[in-house]
Amino acid sequence: MTVDSLTFVGESIFGVGATVEELLAQLDAAGIERAVVCPLKPRSYRLEEANETVAAAAERYPDRLVGFARVDPNLGDDACRELDRATNELGLRGLFLHPWEETFRVHDACVESLLEDMTLPVIVAAGYPWVSEGLQVGELARRHTRLTVVATNGCQINISGLGQVDAELALAENPNLVVQTTGVYREDFIEGVAARFGAERVLFASGFPFFEPRLEVLRVRWAPNLDEHDRALMLGGNAERLLLGRVGRFRAEPGW
Amino acid sequence: MGDRERVVTGQVLSERDAACADVAQQALQDRVDLGQDLLVIIDAHLHVDEVPALGWSLEAAHCIRRLDEAGIDRGVVMTIVDAPELNPQALELVAEACAAYPGRLDAFARIHPWYGQESLDLLERAIGELGFKGLKLHPVTTIAHPSGEDSLRLIRKAAEHSAPTLFHCGDEPLTTPLAVAQAAAACPEATIILGHMGGYFHVDEAIAVAERFPNILLETSAMPYPAKIIAAVERLGPERVLYASDGPACSPRIEVEKVRLAGLDPSAERLVLGENARRLLERVS
Repeated sequence: MTVDSLTFVGESIFGVGATVEELLAQLDAAGIERAVVCPLKPRSYRLEEANETVAAAAERYPDRLVGFARVDPNLGDDACRELDRATNELGLRGLFLHPWEETFRVHDACVESLLEDMTLPVIVAAGYPWVSEGLQVGELARRHTRLTVVATNGCQINISGLGQVDAELALAENPNLVVQTTGVYREDFIEGVAARFGAERVLFASGFPFFEPRLEVLRVRWAPNLDEHDRALMLGGNAERLLLGRVGRFRAEPGW
Repeated sequence: MGDRERVVTGQVLSERDAACADVAQQALQDRVDLGQDLLVIIDAHLHVDEVPALGWSLEAAHCIRRLDEAGIDRGVVMTIVDAPELNPQALELVAEACAAYPGRLDAFARIHPWYGQESLDLLERAIGELGFKGLKLHPVTTIAHPSGEDSLRLIRKAAEHSAPTLFHCGDEPLTTPLAVAQAAAACPEATIILGHMGGYFHVDEAIAVAERFPNILLETSAMPYPAKIIAAVERLGPERVLYASDGPACSPRIEVEKVRLAGLDPSAERLVLGENARRLLERVS
């Protein structure tokens, strides 16, 4: 089974968007059976609405989609309350953080308080300069060893490959860090991560609608130096194990 | 040698040659089935080099194997580091790679602009004596601004031979489309290719500067958005967009499929995948 470990539905203030039907059509066209779906940042800036959009999509297609919640850690206690509502009332199964769009460093104190008592998997929009560089995401993983931290974009966004060493250092130092293949520069980076750290550390992800699933899935399907066991783990096995089940929880403290 | 090193040095490749041969045969058959047997595909951006500090070993044989898998006829190769520094033998390394595969590989000279007359002499030797077809500048590795006088001298020297200058053009300082456009403005007689057409976050900017400067072409390697290829073709015309992969580390086969996913009409796709590059290479004197 092929699982896309990062997709989005809704309308983003940044000009992209997709309905759940458009998402499913894209998944079908790429031969992808299931997906993790996350909220986009809406024009209203109210992530609560976006979480509800994702929850409705996941509830409508429970065999295809698993929803993750998105909160803005800058909001402190309000972010905790919303994560509590989104996971325990709306049924979302993980947390998506976008340090670039919400403007925080991924190892800021505001993130610390949010993650303090959480065991849900966390997807971090990674590789963005100043806020979620490879070693910054590694620092987050180091502080929260009980969490699975999933870094988008191979934990680096750089078309010279300049971020790859930091991404590999973060992976070497933090066994709870895994990386997604979204838009990643160089297929041999994906192969190298699998060879050095294990194929269990790589998840296929398209990042639709920012990226094109029919292209993104080829980075794993056609990577020339993967054996078929590793390829299957990256395409779906790892995501099934780490993201699709109910693998953690979050509960806001009564005082919040 | 660990598994990681076996992958980056290509040893794993040899273990998978049989599978690659099957893929190459299928790619060729796909082209015949599609009536594309006359289509010439040229990959305008590949690398050969040895960079021990990064653990990178990119051999001409790797390039050829990746081209064969994708049904690609020819490729343009260049080094990762520059001549005369960090590698005084960079031109020879590329020339030997091309000589090993006659008719399959052409060369661009990657030259560091800081070395004044020595840099110019190297470029003259590359094009005039060794048959190189273009200049490659990577401002990240050279810390040389595209519009700096050192860079402009090299670009103008290439243009004297009707040879293009390929810039690394991504999201890093010194390499953004607006930075490279400064060179295009200063050298209207030169053909400037924006490699990676702006990377991840500067693609719209790359298309915009190409609209402004007719001597700019866009090159598709590693840029991850098929929709931006068709946008570029629609706004600039299909003659000003070149397919490339940045292989062999990036997969030429996947990069060709990216162009196909853009959904260009067949005549435009033919230009982008090979015809535009063929014309560029053939006019170098």
